[in-house]
Amino acid sequence: MASSLCRASPSPVDSVCITSAFSHTDFHQFCPSTGRIYQCKNTCKALVDNSCRPKTRTALPKHGLFMLGRLVQVSKNYRSVIRACMEDMHQAAVSARDPALHSQYSTQVSILSAMELIWNLCEILFVEAAVAGPLLLRLLDWVRLHVCDVDNMVREVLSSENPSKHELFWNVVDVFVLQGRMDEARHLLSKEASANPTSVNMCRILDDLMKKMPVPSLGNTQTLTEMELKWQHWHEECQRYLQDGTFASNSHMESICKILLGDENAILEKKELMTTWYHFLVTRLLYSHPTVKPMELRFYAQSSMDLFLGGESSPEPLDTILMAAFEFEMHQVIKECSIALSNWWFVAHLTDLLDHCKLLQSHNLYFGSNMREFLLLEYASGLFSHYSLWQLGVDYFDHCPEYGRVYLELHIERIPLNTEQKALKVLRICEQRQMHEQVRSICKIMAMKALRNNRLGSALSWSIRAKDAAFATLISDRFLKDYCEKGCFSDLDLIDNLGPSMLLSDRLTFLGKYREFHRLYGEKRFSEAAKLLLMLMTAHIAPCSFWMTLLTDALPLLEQKEVIFSAEQTYELMRCLEDLTAGKSDKQKFQDDDVETMKVEMLRLALARNLARVIVKEGTLEGS
Amino acid sequence: MVSVINTVDTSHEDMIHDAQMDYYGTRLATCSSDRSVKIFDVRNGGQILIADLRGHEGPVWQVAWAHPMYGNILASCSYDRKVIIWKEENGTWEKTYEYTGHDSSVNSVCWAPHDYGLILACGSSDGAISLLSYTGDGQWEVKKISNAHTIGCNAVSWAPAVVPGSLIEQPSGQKPNYIKRFASGGCDNLVKIWKEEDGQWKEEQKLEAHSDWVRDVAWAPSIGLPTSTIASCSQDGRVFIWTCDDASGNSWSPKLLHKFTDVVWHVSWSITANILAVSGGDNKVTLWKESVDGLWACISDVNKGQGGVSAVTEGQQNEQ
Repeated sequence: MASSLCRASPSPVDSVCITSAFSHTDFHQFCPSTGRIYQCKNTCKALVDNSCRPKTRTALPKHGLFMLGRLVQVSKNYRSVIRACMEDMHQAAVSARDPALHSQYSTQVSILSAMELIWNLCEILFVEAAVAGPLLLRLLDWVRLHVCDVDNMVREVLSSENPSKHELFWNVVDVFVLQGRMDEARHLLSKEASANPTSVNMCRILDDLMKKMPVPSLGNTQTLTEMELKWQHWHEECQRYLQDGTFASNSHMESICKILLGDENAILEKKELMTTWYHFLVTRLLYSHPTVKPMELRFYAQSSMDLFLGGESSPEPLDTILMAAFEFEMHQVIKECSIALSNWWFVAHLTDLLDHCKLLQSHNLYFGSNMREFLLLEYASGLFSHYSLWQLGVDYFDHCPEYGRVYLELHIERIPLNTEQKALKVLRICEQRQMHEQVRSICKIMAMKALRNNRLGSALSWSIRAKDAAFATLISDRFLKDYCEKGCFSDLDLIDNLGPSMLLSDRLTFLGKYREFHRLYGEKRFSEAAKLLLMLMTAHIAPCSFWMTLLTDALPLLEQKEVIFSAEQTYELMRCLEDLTAGKSDKQKFQDDDVETMKVEMLRLALARNLARVIVKEGTLEGS
Repeated sequence: MVSVINTVDTSHEDMIHDAQMDYYGTRLATCSSDRSVKIFDVRNGGQILIADLRGHEGPVWQVAWAHPMYGNILASCSYDRKVIIWKEENGTWEKTYEYTGHDSSVNSVCWAPHDYGLILACGSSDGAISLLSYTGDGQWEVKKISNAHTIGCNAVSWAPAVVPGSLIEQPSGQKPNYIKRFASGGCDNLVKIWKEEDGQWKEEQKLEAHSDWVRDVAWAPSIGLPTSTIASCSQDGRVFIWTCDDASGNSWSPKLLHKFTDVVWHVSWSITANILAVSGGDNKVTLWKESVDGLWACISDVNKGQGGVSAVTEGQQNEQ
């Protein structure tokens, strides 16, 4: 989907610029390997089927939960697609020799990473919102998954011989504490304890505190009040140890204790280890408001960002988007994403998902659910400029109940029909959707193309399919003209098997019947052929211009040893001949060359002779 | 969000007045003051000169591609008062018809929707608009609307062949009774709408809002809604969007898109009519989109080189 739209704008010099609006980062650029393109396409397709089916608005609670589970699964699928693309992109970046290409791919990786970050947060806050379960745990998972800058350091320390002697040892412990990874922190502490006898006591106490820290649990084994009470007690215990100066001799452990107590300054000191304000937000919540509810997030989000950035730097687009999410301003999230990303894929699919979660309707914006369709239409329109992804666009339009059909009608006619296969594919799509106008138009285009390339048979079959009588007449005339010039028909198979479509145009009917005449003659079924020939003239199926040819065709039948035409038929033939010659003006007769006059003479003679023979034959009694 | 995806070096020896992509976005036709019309194959970001058509004796103002079901047909109009229709036969482009019925420069040509047949509207500086209809066998029938605009007609644009309201009310199985309409813009500062009634063309509406010559009109493609939309631009630097809400086409109301600092030469709609491209003497090509609350916002800005940009066209670029 390189462009959904392009312009040619001339300049007074000599060059014309073709520009493109919405130059989408081509989705297939996300997945450089062709294998991935199809996988993404299929995932998208499956997700389209999955998520874009118009849902009934009356959802019972039980049904609702089931739907919700499905929607969460869909959301996770989207994220795994993004991650897969990220992987591929990363591989491409690593193996790219050209530095420009490498940096381009790397940028893509970071964009994809940001997309996944945002999507994940939206999933937690919006899609899973109704699911009972502690918000904080999910946010912690989110942070752990996405803040990876410290992973190398962690790996380094853990894999060293003597971790506790490593200069970054305490940094890693801090990281674990900040991310709420208590078990891992405790494990490292035990190493410190065994390596450093003087701090054994402190380690034991700290370890104990960490072990006892109340965390909101997944299963509903405790009520909120119970949890809060426990937490209060624990908090006070930590406070006591700190005030007693238990950790006074080890600044590291003291700062950890302060963190456990939710001391903002202590947490802020570890800025570099958190790297982002949203990490700070989650850590802050972990140690000061672990039972935070979704709607309360907004109060902490802004202040966290302000504290973390500290006026040194201003928020970036990603920060604005995440902030909007924390504040549950869904429309704001979509708007900011639309601005920040040059790709409709993200907002279109996210909005669709949110719409299915019935979340967008709760907002009082008058275009309500049309926002979903609006974005899907944009995205799908973009797909149509891609040589193969347009087929996906068709599916998307199918799922836009208001304007999808008409958008499809407008776009599908513009797909270049370079091959017959492609044309047939497009036609199938139109026929399945009863888009008769488009079918006719495409068939006419193909017929014209075939005619221009002198492929009369193909042109004829296309115009039959288009039910284009005028064109069929034109082509039949060409066939007949060719016959007169060459004496034989091309594309016999087609003409022989016309069937009922022969009736589309008079000329076409004549062509079919005339060919039938030739066939009958070839099979030596002379009397049937004769009858047909006569009928073609008397029933006025044959155009007048062709009568001479037909009469000439009758000659061999007249000259046969056996009498074929009956008396009555012969009279008919004579009448036809007279009609033909009488119809000519004197001037025309004068212009007729010798060949013409000779033909007429020969015919008259043959007819007369036949008449003579047939009168005798019919007059003779059988067996006498 | 907008980027230049291709620059075609046309080798025209003088100003280029129009550039039009064909139906599929695979070919580009350009015309110039150097009296030639050139056709390029622009697939895959390339540019291959397919034809260099000579036949005009003056600057060529506009080109227009006919619907592919009639074959590869291109119309061009020029200062030399001629309209030439070119056709591709057996791989070569040739002149198939020449119309010399105007007394002055022919400024604009526009093909009618394919449902009406092969019909070309031509607007001229002699104030008349002629309609050339192909009747078969190389024959063209001409209908002329004299004095369509005093001083001259600068632009013509056909209305789409859609029965208004068809998105909402399903039309019956038989072919709908189309009412042929087109819009024209002239030196009398007016936009006029013409309607065919009993084989005669009558002026249906007069749209007044511009204070100087109307340079271009563009009737937006329809998605079957009852609204009809026309964009017009003028020497006065203004672009108006005219909308008519009722199916009978009686009340048109203008909305000012923007007042530019210089003459606006051309306006052009995207296939689904949700984006309008505008080009003008300020050297810019801008894209405009209507937001959900009915206001028009500029979604892009492309600055192009020296000199004025005089034509904008929208088509579909395809990667092939």
